[in-house]
This record gives sequence, structure tokens and C-alpha cells, in this order.
Amino acid sequence: MQFNPCIKHKLIRNSARHFAETELAPIAAEIDQQRRFPRDVIAKMRALNYFGLQVPKEYGGAALDSISTAIVVEEISRVCAAVGLCVTVHNGVAVYPFLQFANPSQKEIYLPQMASGKMIGAFSLTEANAGSDAGSVETTAVKNGSHYILNGTKIFVTNGGVCDVALIFALTSSPDNKLQSSVFIVESKFPGFLRGELEDLCGMRANPVSSLFFEDCPVPAANLLGKQGDGMKIGLSTLDNGRIGVAAQALGIAQGAMEAAVKYAKERQQFKKPIASQQTIQNYIADMATEIMAARLLLYRACELKDAGGPFGCEASMAKLYCSTIASKVTSLAVQIHGGYGYSKEYDVERYFRDAKVTEIYEGTSEIQRMVIARAILSQSMM
Amino acid sequence: MLNIVVCIKQVPMVTELPWDEKTGTLRRDLAAGMMNPACKRAVEAALQVKEKQGAVITVMTMGPPAAEEVLREALAMGADRGILICDRTLAGSDTYATSYILAAAIQKEAPDCHLILCGAYTSDSETAQVGPQLAEELKMPAAAYVENLEISGRLLRVRRLVDNFRETLEMEFPALVTISMERYEPRYASFAGLNQAFNEKNMAILKAKHLGITSENLHQHGSRTKVRKVFVRKTQKENELITGAAANAVCEFLDKYQGKISAVIGKSIETKKQT
Repeated sequence: MQFNPCIKHKLIRNSARHFAETELAPIAAEIDQQRRFPRDVIAKMRALNYFGLQVPKEYGGAALDSISTAIVVEEISRVCAAVGLCVTVHNGVAVYPFLQFANPSQKEIYLPQMASGKMIGAFSLTEANAGSDAGSVETTAVKNGSHYILNGTKIFVTNGGVCDVALIFALTSSPDNKLQSSVFIVESKFPGFLRGELEDLCGMRANPVSSLFFEDCPVPAANLLGKQGDGMKIGLSTLDNGRIGVAAQALGIAQGAMEAAVKYAKERQQFKKPIASQQTIQNYIADMATEIMAARLLLYRACELKDAGGPFGCEASMAKLYCSTIASKVTSLAVQIHGGYGYSKEYDVERYFRDAKVTEIYEGTSEIQRMVIARAILSQSMM
Repeated sequence: MLNIVVCIKQVPMVTELPWDEKTGTLRRDLAAGMMNPACKRAVEAALQVKEKQGAVITVMTMGPPAAEEVLREALAMGADRGILICDRTLAGSDTYATSYILAAAIQKEAPDCHLILCGAYTSDSETAQVGPQLAEELKMPAAAYVENLEISGRLLRVRRLVDNFRETLEMEFPALVTISMERYEPRYASFAGLNQAFNEKNMAILKAKHLGITSENLHQHGSRTKVRKVFVRKTQKENELITGAAANAVCEFLDKYQGKISAVIGKSIETKKQT
């Protein structure tokens, strides 16, 4: 069991941190306010493999291990969670299913373009009536010769406003006329692929979250991911992986908020001394630091299990549940330590506070994570 | 193919480190390490030469085992081979000893190198001595504080800014150049490059014995400088406020300070008091 980071993980952290602090820190507050997707910075990230973190070298990726990937998402989110979200959704739930379920020709066509960031990916399961209840998808895909014709509406699609390719969950019918969930690789240039207005959200505002509409959108049959009816299998496996990414993102937000709070507590004078000398503030900081450390260990353990090739869904859910819970708590304390200034847009903690909340909601709510964890524990006969 | 050696150094990541008041040394344990900024620009300069006309780049450093980090980083940026000189007997080397050891390593590992690049100075000690001293050890021409280099054939043309003059110098290979902070903004290492730096590129670790360095020749070539005392410079300023009517305030000021002012300007000044 190795608890100290190896040189490689240290360098990957330094590298991502340096990039985030140089390129994103100066604009993070501004793009949040303007709801602007920073295309210029994204262009720089492409050449540095941010969009092919775990893609094998032969497809132009960086072939990183899962801890390295978590570290990258953590460091970007520590400075700008909205861009961290773009990176983790692209890598964690758009690219990952290609690596797991795509056939060689699909990999050949899409992986190089996705790994280079030429194509930005999205993952689209959620609908107005299908959130936690992923089985209630209403979008349909009807086979018509060499194509499937898609009709339906997806909502809250992360990267929706900019994605070039999206994995769309839709209902197909089996030969015996049963409805089954299937996944399609849909390019934004296909006719009938329409984007809605960008959502005006509480946090992660620089990420172009939108609805996607499919109006008689023809998708080549060759773009069916896996087999017809594989939807649930692909969805659950992908969400397991996505949860590691959201956990990393939540952890990065918490880390950023704590660092801001520590800095402020040392500078802010009240009663003629820094507020960091007050025991109450020290207790807050001690709790924040302890919970962040525990969250990090839980997350890296899930990553290690994933790379070992065994099941990691329960641990990914634990990491996602815990990291997002402490992210909300830590960012709230960071605002508290900043007092009135923390409630102002003058300081970053206000943004961290807004950004943290959604990590408890998307990629499976905390309630769903508890359900997944409890099911795993209760199904173990040993217990 | 050009053969380039870049000598780099790991320095503490923060500029103001806590001192150990008792021993007069830096508490290096409190800071993470990073590649010295000017050294990183030297690596960038080498990479630009490599991109333009092809070159094999060897990066070399002397330091503790953790100094491997800066070598891996340089490999990730695009250097080809790393050499870490790591030996407890070499700890505490001053610039003279360091250049002697680096020269021995270059003679052993890259005897046919055309160009040696160093950072002009380091952010932790700022002596700017190792580069030029290394050139002396290797008996090759050197140019320090270089902001741009061009190569044509065996000729190296360098441009540098000294005393507010920009001068261009030419020299033949083999030569040593130290790179300033003016240009060569270092590139970000890609993640694929970082992965490659660990999985596909060579890094050798050399001990003093591999370089033929013994306690005897270290005695002769070892550190000549002794650090007697290290202290934090303190500046103390006292402000005095003179109040009252302007004429009186000026007179009071001159009464108190005309001696000092006279000493500074080199002639005595007289004051007339208002009656």
C-alpha cells in the first residue's frame, strides 16, 4: 500500500496546476459571470492531451492511469470547476464508453478526433422524465434501412452547447417488439440535431449546459454503440467511471476553497489579530483539511481498483458521495470564514460555493449513491 | 546531428523560504522543488534548436534523489536522455566544485557534445557562476546571459543584453551558452510527454566513483567558498514628521539635517533663520 505520491503523479499535479493557475485563474471569475466557454484556453488544452487523458497512445491519447486522470481533473477544478467539468465529462463519460464498448471501426473514426479535442464529447441520458430513474427514457430510435431515426429531447447536457459528438440513450424495439435502451453515437452535424438555449445555472456557469433536440435525426446504423439493448449496461458502467470524475472535481473545488479560506484567515484582522488565531476558525480549518484528506484517499482507492481491472462501482459511489458532500461543506465553511466578503463576488469562495452544490446532484444524486452503496453492501453474504 | 547538453537545477518553489536562524541555512524541507526558471528556458532553447535542425538533447543535474523530478519534466518537454549525479559525498558543493563535477560528467557521458546550455542564474542563489566556470573546466568559449541563439553550420551566433547594449557574438562549436529570462518562454509539457518521460526515456544515475571523483581530487577541486554567516537583511526606516508653518518647518528641518545633507552633496549649506 503506497500513500505517498510517486514522482509521476507529483509532476502531473504540478503540470496541471501550473496550467490552471496561469491560464484559468485570471479568467475564472469573469467567464463564470459572463457564462462564457473559454475556447482559447480549451484550444491550448487540446495540444496538451487534456481531451485524451486515458486514450491509448495509438489513438493519440496520453494513456494516463486513473489516479493521474483524477489529479488532472482535481487541479483544473481547484481553479475553474466549469472547465474541470468539460474535461471530466469529455474524458469520463464520452470517451470512456468508446474505450469500453466501441467496435474497432468506431474507435478508429472517433477516438483520434476526441483524444485531440477536435471533437468535444457529451453524454446524454437525462430527460424531463428520466433523471435518477434512468430507465424512463422516452427518446426513440426507429430502424429505417441503414439508419435509425432519432426523436426526443435531452436536458441538462453538459458540454451540450459545444459538443461535436454525443452519446444518446434512446429506446429501440427488439425483434419481438419489446422496448429496450440503446446508445447511439450522434454527431452534431447530423441533420435534425438541434441545440437548445444555454441553461442559466447556479454554478458551473462557464460550461455550456443545454438541451439537445432530435427531430427525425438520421443516425447510421454503424453508429450504434455496442448492441441494441446494451443501453443499461453501457449507462451503468459509464456512470461508475463518471462518478470518479465528479468526485475528483468536487475534491478540487474543496481544495481551492480551503486554500482561499486559509489565506484569508491569516490576512483578515479582527480584534487586532488575524482571525486564524481564533480557535473557532482553527477548528473549521482542521475539519476542512481532515475531510479533504479522507476524501482524496477514498477517491484514489477507487481509481486504483478501477486500474486493477476489478469492479469499482461501489467504491466510485462512495468517493462521489463523500467528495461531493465535503465539497458542499468545505465551500460553505470557506464562505463563513470570509464573513460578508465571502458572500460577495469580490472573492472566489462565493463561486466555489455555487459550483460545489451540483456535485451532489449530477452523475447520480447523493441519494442514488447511497442506494448503490447499500445494495452492494447488502448483497455481500459475508455481512 | 547536433549533440546538446542542458545543465539544469532543482530549486525550492517559493522565493522566500524560512531560515533556520541557528544554522543559517534554508529550510528546504518546507518547500516543494521545481525546475529553476532560467534552466527551463535553457531546455526550451535546446528544444527549439532540435525542432529547427534536429538534435539529441541530454539533460543533466546534480542533486538529491528528488532532483529526478526536474529531469523527468525536461524529458516530458522533449529532451531525450537524463543524467542525475546523485551522491552524498558531493553534497554541499559550491559553484567551483559543481562545475568541476559537471565537467567530469559531460566528459564521460557526452564527450562529443557541440553545445552546452545552462540557465543564466538560479532563483535560489543567483551566483550565475556555474555556467562560465563549467566552460573554463572544459576549455570552451562561453557567452552568458544570452537571449537568442542561431546556428549555421559550425557557427553559433548569440544575442545578449548587457549594460543596456544589445550585442551579437559569434563562436564555434563546442561552446557553452547561459540563457537569460528574456525569451524562450518554456512550453507546457503534454501529458503524453509526461507519460513517455517515465515509460520510454532513459535516465542514468551517476555516483562520484563513476566520474572518477575521489575524496582526494575533491579535496583539490572541492568547494573553495565557506559560508560564514547567513542572515536576513533588515532595513529600518524612521519617519519624522515636522509640523508648523512652512518656513519654520523648513528651517527646523535644515537645522537638524544640514550636516547630513552637506555630507551627501559634498558642500556645506548655510541657513538663514527667520528673525
